[in-house]
Amino acid sequence: MLNDIFSPVRAAWEGLQERLFFLPPFPDELDSLALFSMLLVVGLLVGEWLRARLGWPKVIGYVLAGTLFGPSVLGWISIEALAQIRPMADAALGLLMLEIGRGLDLRWLSHNRGLLRATLSEITPSFTAIFLFAWGVVGLMPAWAAAAAAVTMASAPAVVLLIVEESSAQGQVTEWIMLHTALSAAASFVVFAVVVGVVHAEYSDDWLNAVVHPLWVLVGALMIAWLMALLALLVAALLPKRSLAQVFILVATALLAVGTARMLAVPVFLTLFLMGAILSFSDQERTLSYTNLPEGHWLLAIILFVVVGASLPWQDFTWLIGLQAIGLLIVRAVAKVAALAWAGGGLAAPKRMLVGIGIQPLSATAVFMAYEIAGLYPEIGRSSLSLPFLRRPSWSLPARLSAVSPWGA
Amino acid sequence: MQLLSVRDFDLTRGATDLLDSMDYDGRFGEIKLEITESMIEVSTLPRTLVDGIAADLVGLRQALVSQCARNHIAVCGGGTHPFHRWAERRICPGDRFDEIYHRYGYLAKQFTVFGQHIHVGCTSGDEAIWMTQALGPYVPIFIALSASSPFIDGEDTLFQSARLNAVSAFPLSGQCPALRDWAEFIEHFSFLQACGIARSIKDLYWDVRPKPEFGTVEIRVCDTPLTVERAAALAALAQSLVRHLLRTRPALDTQRHLYVARYNKFQACRYGFDGQISDPIGLQQVPLRQIARELLAVLVEDARELGCSAWLQLLDASLAGEISDASWLRGRQAIHRSLNDVVREATMRFRNKGSTHLAEGPQ
Repeated sequence: MLNDIFSPVRAAWEGLQERLFFLPPFPDELDSLALFSMLLVVGLLVGEWLRARLGWPKVIGYVLAGTLFGPSVLGWISIEALAQIRPMADAALGLLMLEIGRGLDLRWLSHNRGLLRATLSEITPSFTAIFLFAWGVVGLMPAWAAAAAAVTMASAPAVVLLIVEESSAQGQVTEWIMLHTALSAAASFVVFAVVVGVVHAEYSDDWLNAVVHPLWVLVGALMIAWLMALLALLVAALLPKRSLAQVFILVATALLAVGTARMLAVPVFLTLFLMGAILSFSDQERTLSYTNLPEGHWLLAIILFVVVGASLPWQDFTWLIGLQAIGLLIVRAVAKVAALAWAGGGLAAPKRMLVGIGIQPLSATAVFMAYEIAGLYPEIGRSSLSLPFLRRPSWSLPARLSAVSPWGA
Repeated sequence: MQLLSVRDFDLTRGATDLLDSMDYDGRFGEIKLEITESMIEVSTLPRTLVDGIAADLVGLRQALVSQCARNHIAVCGGGTHPFHRWAERRICPGDRFDEIYHRYGYLAKQFTVFGQHIHVGCTSGDEAIWMTQALGPYVPIFIALSASSPFIDGEDTLFQSARLNAVSAFPLSGQCPALRDWAEFIEHFSFLQACGIARSIKDLYWDVRPKPEFGTVEIRVCDTPLTVERAAALAALAQSLVRHLLRTRPALDTQRHLYVARYNKFQACRYGFDGQISDPIGLQQVPLRQIARELLAVLVEDARELGCSAWLQLLDASLAGEISDASWLRGRQAIHRSLNDVVREATMRFRNKGSTHLAEGPQ
């Protein structure tokens, strides 16, 4: 569509080039910065409009903007453009996961055993229910049913963090949602690493990779996270607490962790989550505990959600796939709410229900996890991993995206 | 008491959830909501001995600290939170809180300050009114000894107790007028009611006021101390002073004292022990520290009779060492250069962790 619009301009431009030698070739692709700012403006406008008119969280607007302008609908954001913007989305996801990790305080669980019970009883049924649905109802192979459960069992940390921030939410319901989200994300990441091995075993019959790759993912992420957290704390200790310089150090080390993870083909979301958790747990002197990320990181978050929206494969929608996806979401929702209703933990039942609703979002991390696995095996048709995102007939989109990913096949 | 996020030690909204989830049978007194969700009110049972008050406070502290830990929040004393943003506060559910918010607007949120109220039982309404007047000149001493609010909005206010400036904004704050007995008080209050100024005695935010529901006089000027030990010591001071006043029945010149009351209150809030107190009878200024030490010396006999000498000795030691909660907070800030860390240490101090003055209590 865009080509049709720009073809007269291109013709005119090329005509001018014959006389104006300084003119560069007609730009076939948008510059990264131009694309970044366009996505930002479009996402912001749609998000603000939805917020003002319908009172919806802005994040829905960002995703809708991506969907509308992405390859599935209008096609103004091309697949190539999505690949181009992927580093920004990685950085955004990384910073959000860092925040989720920093908010994880395992010491709370030692003071509240009921909460630990509630968390475990939410994670286990979520995985089991989704697995059984994908395997028994949809008819996926067990390995892929497990993969689908691994990427969808967790709540969406980025969405939850964004909504909590946007609504200035505080109190026990918020605390519970944040903890459940962080722990279910951690559990999901571990299962995800195991699934990577299972995928190798199933599709390559390569047992060396089946064993070493999950270890590479987990140990690699842990090592990068630990080193970067250590570096951040060492440098930040030389600076005044909550100073702007400390903010820069936090962001810089986080981006260094993102870059290193990308170079070593280790998942960014896992690395940054671990870095945040290590910072939270090891910062005994509270060197960086009070230092918040700058407001600007929400700009990156907008890009993240626009990219997620644009990456959803709506063009492959069929009623059967739609029903299966809805079925999965219902099973997942029931499992989470029922687990919370059954669990104790010192929170009144109505508020536990609210927690159950609060941990429903499913978004960016799962999409990225699915892409990571798809990057390994782009040839897999009708993969179970796409089930939650309207199952696709092929992985062509993620495979092309993965061309810029260190996980690329 | 202040309810805090354990992540950054800013105030957090947790009061309603805390009370809803609390497994506490009321054996040490009440734990209840205050005006905003970041505050919690505790009150001991009525006790004849200060040791009983101290035991209740320790029990309440234990109940609060353990439940707060279960709710992933922290709790501490102090008259103000050093760096919270009042606009982020949320009014607690309840008709009375709603009514206060609608009547006073943003002042209700800015009223997220923390005070210790001390009730002393009286035998009659007349005695309560007399005691209200008699305690008036001692208000600066209570302010200085309890001062624990040097920081507001992340800034050192240079005050020892900045909390009372938030209270001063309310139209019915200040001092009880020169009333002679219960009948005059009823007449005065009926006048306020007829003018539509006050609906109940709760609307009177006087520094010292009668509390007929309890049969007490209530001293309302103290900041919430950082430790339960100092809170008990202040109760000991109040009890000993009231006994002394009832025993000696000094002649009162309330009207003259009212002329200087606001000035003296300012001196205590601003300078603490270094304040200069105007004496409207002797027509001179006297250092607050000197008045306080003389008072503690005078109260020795009454304190002994009431079995609370050790608690007063703690206050005496505090005066001698020029150590107040406000100076402790400033000292921690000088070391950490981070108010987050100052509040974190205040939570540890409230829990009685780490060495602090007045942390041990009387032996």
